[in-house]
Parts: sequence; structure tokens; C-alpha cells
Amino acid sequence: MLEPSATPKLELRNITKWYGPEGTGVLAVDDCSVSVQKGEFVCVVGPSGCGKSTLMTVGAGLEEATHGEILIDGKPAGKPGPRRSVVFQKFALFPSETVAQNIKFGLQMTNVPRDEQERRVQQQLEIMGLTQFRDSYPSQLSGGMQQRVAIARALAMQPEILLMDEPFGALDAQTRTILQEEVQRLSHQMHYTVLFITHSVEEAVYLSDRVIVMSRRPGRIKKEIQLPRDVAWKRGDIEQAAEHPEFIEARREIWALVREEIMAA
Amino acid sequence: MRRIANGNLVLVSAAACVVWIAVWAWITRSGGPVSSLFLPSPGDVVERFGRMWVKPYIGSTLLGHVFSSLSIVLAGWALGGIVGVPLGVAMAWWPRVKWLVFPIFQLIRPVPPLAWIPLTLVWMGIGEPARIFVVFIAALVPWLMNSMQAVGSVDPLLIDAGRTLGASDGKILTRIVCRTALPTLIAGARIALGNAWTTLVAAELLAATAGLGYVALNASRMLDTDVLVVAMLLIGLLGVLLSLLMKLATHVLAPWSLSQQKG
Amino acid sequence: MAVNASPSPILSRPLAYGATSLGILALAWVLATSVLGWVGPEVLPSPLAVIARFANLIVEPFAGAALFGHVLASLERWSYGVFFAIVLGVPFGIFFAWVPWFRAVVNPVFETLRYIPPFAWVPIAILWFGASTATQAMVVFIAAFPACVINAQLGVQHVDNILVQAARVFGADQLNTLRRVVVPVATPSIFTGIRIAISNGWMALVGAELVVGKTGLGFLIAQGQQNDSVSTIFVGIIAIGVLGVLIDLCVQRLERRLMPWQLP
Repeated sequence: MLEPSATPKLELRNITKWYGPEGTGVLAVDDCSVSVQKGEFVCVVGPSGCGKSTLMTVGAGLEEATHGEILIDGKPAGKPGPRRSVVFQKFALFPSETVAQNIKFGLQMTNVPRDEQERRVQQQLEIMGLTQFRDSYPSQLSGGMQQRVAIARALAMQPEILLMDEPFGALDAQTRTILQEEVQRLSHQMHYTVLFITHSVEEAVYLSDRVIVMSRRPGRIKKEIQLPRDVAWKRGDIEQAAEHPEFIEARREIWALVREEIMAA
Repeated sequence: MRRIANGNLVLVSAAACVVWIAVWAWITRSGGPVSSLFLPSPGDVVERFGRMWVKPYIGSTLLGHVFSSLSIVLAGWALGGIVGVPLGVAMAWWPRVKWLVFPIFQLIRPVPPLAWIPLTLVWMGIGEPARIFVVFIAALVPWLMNSMQAVGSVDPLLIDAGRTLGASDGKILTRIVCRTALPTLIAGARIALGNAWTTLVAAELLAATAGLGYVALNASRMLDTDVLVVAMLLIGLLGVLLSLLMKLATHVLAPWSLSQQKG
Repeated sequence: MAVNASPSPILSRPLAYGATSLGILALAWVLATSVLGWVGPEVLPSPLAVIARFANLIVEPFAGAALFGHVLASLERWSYGVFFAIVLGVPFGIFFAWVPWFRAVVNPVFETLRYIPPFAWVPIAILWFGASTATQAMVVFIAAFPACVINAQLGVQHVDNILVQAARVFGADQLNTLRRVVVPVATPSIFTGIRIAISNGWMALVGAELVVGKTGLGFLIAQGQQNDSVSTIFVGIIAIGVLGVLIDLCVQRLERRLMPWQLP
């Protein structure tokens, strides 16, 4: 187990987000606190439109919170930058750049030495199985391949924190399963610190160490559920995992919470 | 692109308007850096406008010139519609008509309407028919293209549905096709009117004895810069009015198309 | 779809109809002018007369230059105007979309001037620059500039915000975001603008040359009219049309070269 008292790697402290003027606009997120310890994989689950993506954009520094603060290692996180990488739901690949150029983009922007850039691009291409698509343009790839590129682009930065906003939401079921397993494998090997947004309860249970359930809009934290870490069933494929009693129990519990929110809407 | 307070920007725009006019007035003040021969001051323009409104300038008052310009534009534009719409509809409805007419059309299309002016001058002389003809040519293209597209884009399923309900070809054309096609058609009318206006101004530079373009060219020859600016601004203003009028027509005739356009 | 079982004819049906209609048109032209002589050459010259005139204009100067000279004169003015319209208009449009306060400040002037048709600028251009290349280039510029600005602006405004966010996440500053993400994504729209600008400019040039100048294709047809030489007008009109098409084809070529990431 992680030390609960340790300073979290990433902390979203008392985040409130209004779109439009405070009080009369739309309240997307209401006083949410989320913290992720170093090496921890945290999933945020909630009904659609509950403000979980807002939490993400604010956490990445792309939007300012109306109230509350974002801390990395206990210090204000500031503008978006290489310490936090993001994988977007709609891939957000740069259409005019090849796969390799996309992966290299952040490295160039942050002045990583040239040969180091090449090395990391090569490494990511191999890890994500993209070597043969090195010089393809995103529009020439399938959705699954595009999201691999987006993940590779984020990992190439060797970020301290990885933020993933429903990264598999736009993919078909088979591709999603394969990528889920791949992310599971990667996070196991590399011990990334991940904040992962999803609406899929199964995905959350399979991937994360801790699941945070959000209420319907305005989004509040409804409950946090600690999941077993480093257990054998998580290392296999998702279908096997889904048969394990611990998985079934966790899914049932989380589903009940999410269903409550959907029904109440 | 980005979230910005729209209200503030409107204010900035309004303030900018005042500033631009002030700049204009300042640089054209007597003894200022820009000679009135080059650009008249706003005051001169307003004053000249007032005078031209009541006193005739080369033949008629401002209103007379405006009337002359507008009547020709509307005549040419309407003529374009009268020829273009039935032809366009026929081309969309019967492929053979399209195959026959389209090549000729493609052949003529790259030639700017203005290039026809000398030919019309030879054929018809300086006069209203020549100008109406040139405006007609400029308006014909969008009228025809859009009515063809409008009819061509009607969902064949709707036509089949009409057929199974026992509608005749004529009924289908008037009841189903025309209604779904109306927004595209009106868009064509709008473009046609814009083209017509632009082309008319050019035609008036070459072959006219009245009209705003004629006023502008004369003013330029007589170094009446203030008259020239009055004419230019009026041409612009009328262009805006015509375009607004067509938008209004869209509102009235095909209100269902407006929500689509926002997209 | 089922494959058509009948043997394919030499010409497809649309082509056959098209050829027929063009053939009839040509035949009517020949019959009316050369064979039956219904219309005199002062109204409509025969095809042969036009071809002869064309050959004649190539070698013999008319209205100050041979045909090629007029073409060059027109192209020169046109390229000045279009060049400046693109070089100034595209960055202007990008800036317009990217910096809201700039748009707010400049838009009133831009919108007012935009509604004045390019030909309405001919008289004032004459006043400012006299009968010089600058006059015509200015009219071309005015005809071409708004299309460049508006399409560049639209292109930038339509770039998915998520791409801008992604660029920020990966550490790009404003300039790099524009250069590597926004402008490339907006390029198709920018090119549409350039194509419109180019053809608008060509049209405006013809108009300007009709009114003012001593060379150029517009001047050539104006002189044809002055001298009651309809065949000259025909040659001029055909040259204007053909050049317009050729220019557009060149731009389309270039477009495909410059944007390899666009799917066909």
C-alpha cells in the first residue's frame, strides 16, 4: 500500500468550475478534490456530462478553475507543460504531421536534444507497435492506431503525470479491449502516475488502483473506492479479469453508485 | 476559437469606429498630411452628399443616379432568374438537357462578365440594354448553378415516396422538389444579386450616361474627390442593403433553412 | 451496382450529347456567318475570321503590342496585385482570427470597404496613381484581398480547439502553435481563398483594363470595340477565358503538392 500521508504527485484541491459568470452560468464541477500518489493509477467514473472531462482540462492546466488549485508535489502546477502529458478522447493528432513528427512534437517544443528526440521516438514507435507507420499521416490510420500514436506522443515526454480523458471512448469494442490491456501492461511495467477519466466501469476496475465516482452535474465526488493492487488477475487479459470475484464485486459496487446518479437525473 | 467576452469586443469595435473616423478627419484636415485632392475629409463628404441630394450632378440628383443603377441591376438580375431557374431545373430534372447545355455553359463560364462589355457595346451601343445584358450574364451563372444544385440535391427517396403516393411528375416538381430546394435557390439569388451589383458598377464605368459608377468615373476625371467618395460609399451601402434584403427574403420564404446554416 | 452488359460505346452518352450541342453551335456559327451570310462581320465574325485575326494578332502589333505583349502586360499587373493580396491578406486573416481585439478594432473598416465592389475603386485608383500599372494592380489587390483574409480567418477559426489544447499541453508557445498546428490545418481553407482571390483578381483586372491603360487584354478588347473589330474582341475574350482556366489549373496543381496529408 502507498503511504496515504505522503505528498500526492498530483492534487486537485477543492476545484470549482463555472462556465460563464459565477452564480448565473453553468456549474460544471463543484468543490472536487482528487489526489494521485506517485505511481498510482486513479480512475474517475461518472455519468456523461458530470463534469469529469472538465476536471481533466482544469487538471491539465488548459482551463483555469474558478476556485481551487492544482498542485504537483505540493506546489502550484502552473501552465500546461511537459510534466503533465494528456491523451485526448478525440486523439488530437496534428493532421499535417506524420506519426513520427507527432510523437516528436513535444520533445521539440521543450528543447530535448536532437539525438535524444530520435531515440525516444524510436522507442515509442517500437513499444506501441507503430514502426511501420512512422511516416504515415494520421488520416491514413485507423482510430485505434491513431490513439496509439497519441499515447506514444504523451509517453515520449516521459511525463511525471499522465492524464487520459476517455482515451478509448471513440474506439470500437475490439480495439478498445486490446488497448486497455496494453495500457494495463505498460502501467504495470513503468509505474506511471495516471489520472484516467472514463464512463466505463469495467475499464476503471480493470485498470485502476482507486476509482473515484462522481455525481451527476454539477459534479461532486460521490465516493472513492480502493481496489486491490498488484494482484494476479489484473495482469491477465480483461476477459479473464472480469471473471474474478474481486472484479465482479468492485464492478457491482461502482455500478450501483453510477446507476443511482443516472436514475436520479 | 476561444472564449471571449463578446460584449467587450462590441465595445472595442464601436470605439474603434470613432477612432478611425477621427483619424480620417485628422489626416485630411486643412494643412494636414493628406491633400483633399487625394482623400476628402469626412466633413466634405457629408456636405457634398447633402448638396448632391438636392442639386443635380451630371444630369440628375443622387437619388436619380441611385434609381438608374438599381433599376438596371434589378432588371438584369430578374432576367437572369427568368432564364436561369427554369434552365437549371430542367438540367437537373432531365439529364439530356444537362448534357446538351452544360458544355456550352462551361465554355462561357471562365470569361469574366465584364469582358462581354465591349461586345455588347458593339451589338447594342451605349444604353440601358447593353448594361442590362452584362448584368444578366453576371447574374445568370449563380441562378442557374444553384437551381440545378438545389433540384439535384433533393433526396431521391422523397421523390420515390411522392411517386408511390400517386403524385404526377409536375406535382412532385412543385410540391416536393421546389420546397426542399428553395433555400439553395435563394442562396443562388443572393449571390446573383451580389454579382449583378458588382458588374453593374463596372458597366457604368464604360457604357452609361447615368448611375453611380458613371458619377464616380466623372468625379475622378474632374478631380472631385468628395463626389467620388460619396459615390463609392453609396455603392457600398446599397450593396449592403441589397444583401440584407436577400437575407430578409430567406427569413420570409425559407425560415427552416436558417437554423441549418448556423450548423 | 450491376455492370452494364452492353458493349461500351466510343463516347459515353453525356459526352456524345455535349459534342452534339457544341457541334451544332459551331455549325450554326459557320452557317450564319460564312455560308449563308445572315450576319455581317461587323456583328459576328466567322470562325475563320477569328482564327485569322488570332494569327494576325500574334505577329502584328495592335493597340500598341502583339497579343503576347498584351498577355504579358495583363499577367504582370495581375501578379503584382495578387501577390500583395496573398502576402498581406493571409497573415492578416490568420491574425484576425487569432487575436480577437485586433479583429474588433479593424473589422469596422474592413467590412465597410469590403462592400465597395473592386470596380468602384477604379476611379479613385486613377486619381491616385494615374494610368499606370499601379492603378490596375491596386484594383486587382482590392478584388483579391478580402477573399484571402476571410478564408484564412475561417480556416483558423474552424481549427478544432482540441488541437490547440494538445499543442499547449506539449509545450508549444503561440508562435509554434500557429506555425505547426493551426496554419497547416487551415491551409485548405487558405488555398480556397487564394483560388477565389486569383480568379477575382483576374476578373477585376479585365475591368480595370477596359477603363484605363494602354496595354493588356482588357485594353485589347476595348480597342477592338473602338475600331469596330469584333474579331479582335473575340480573340481577346477567348484569351482571357483560356488564361483564367490555365491559372486555376496551376493553382490546383500547387495545392496538391503543398498538402500531402490531405486524403484524395
